[in-house]
Amino acid sequence: MMDVRELDELLRAQEGDAGCDAGVPIMDQYVELELRGEDPSERFPGTAIHLRVCPGCRADHDGVLEAARRFGGVEPD
Amino acid sequence: MSRRWVEQLHSSHPRYEQAAARLHDVLRRAALHELHRRRALLPSLAGPELDDVAQQCAHDAMLNVLARIDDFQGLSRFTTWAYKFVIFEVSSKLARHTWQRLPPSRTDPEWAELPDMAAGVRPGEQAENRERLGVLRNAIEQDLTPRQREVFVAIALNDVPIDVLALQLDSNRNAIYKNLFDARRKLRGCLAGAGYPLTDEEAQA
Repeated sequence: MMDVRELDELLRAQEGDAGCDAGVPIMDQYVELELRGEDPSERFPGTAIHLRVCPGCRADHDGVLEAARRFGGVEPD
Repeated sequence: MSRRWVEQLHSSHPRYEQAAARLHDVLRRAALHELHRRRALLPSLAGPELDDVAQQCAHDAMLNVLARIDDFQGLSRFTTWAYKFVIFEVSSKLARHTWQRLPPSRTDPEWAELPDMAAGVRPGEQAENRERLGVLRNAIEQDLTPRQREVFVAIALNDVPIDVLALQLDSNRNAIYKNLFDARRKLRGCLAGAGYPLTDEEAQA
C-alpha cells in the first residue's frame, strides 16, 4: 500500500536542487569533505539536495566514495 | 602525492610509462569493484565479461584523465579526481548494456499502473486515497506534456534507470532529470490544487 508519505517521496521535487550536471565537476571535492568527516551540504547545498533524489547521481557519488575509501590515495611509485 | 601524479603523467616525464600503468591498474580495480557493487543491474554479465568491461572503463577513464590533467586544480586528491572519471565510465557502460537488453515494455510511454494506494487502510482513508489517486491519474494523463509523462512513467512508475531512459530518448541524464523534476512539481501542484496537498507547506500555499 502507498500512503501519503510514500507519494510525497514518489513526487519529490525540492527547491534548490542543483540538478545532475552541477555535481559532475565537484563530485571529488564533495566526497573528500565526507571522508574528512565534514558536511558537504554546507558547501554544496544544491548537490546535497540532488543526491537525495536522483538515483543515477547517487550511485555515482557512492561509487566515487567507495573507490576513494577502498583504494585510497595510492602513489605513482 | 597529487603533484607527483600530475608531474609523472606528462608524457615528457621519464617515469610516465610507469605512472600511467600504475594509474590504469588502480582505475581497472576500481571499475571492477564498482561493477560488482552494481551487479544487480547486470545479472547477465559474468566474470570474464566483467573483467573486459572494467578494462574498457579504465582505458576510457585514462584517456579522459590524461586529456584533462592540466585542468586538475588540486581541490581534491588526484586519485579521487581520477576515480570520478572511471565511475562515470562504469555508469555509462552499464546504462548502454542495460538499454540493449531492456524489455521494450519497461520504457513503453503508454499508461502504467499506479501503486495501490487504497489497500489495507480504514474505509474513510481508503476513499480519500482513491480520490487522491484519481486526481493524480488525471493529472498524469492531462497536465503533463507528452515528454514529462513518458519520463515520469518510465522512471517513477516503471523503475527504468535514468541513464537507460536517456539513451532510449537520445538525450542525457541532466535533461531527463529536468523533465522528471518538472513533472513531479506539476503533479504536486495538481494534487494541492484539488485539495490533496502532500505537505503542510503545500496546504498553506
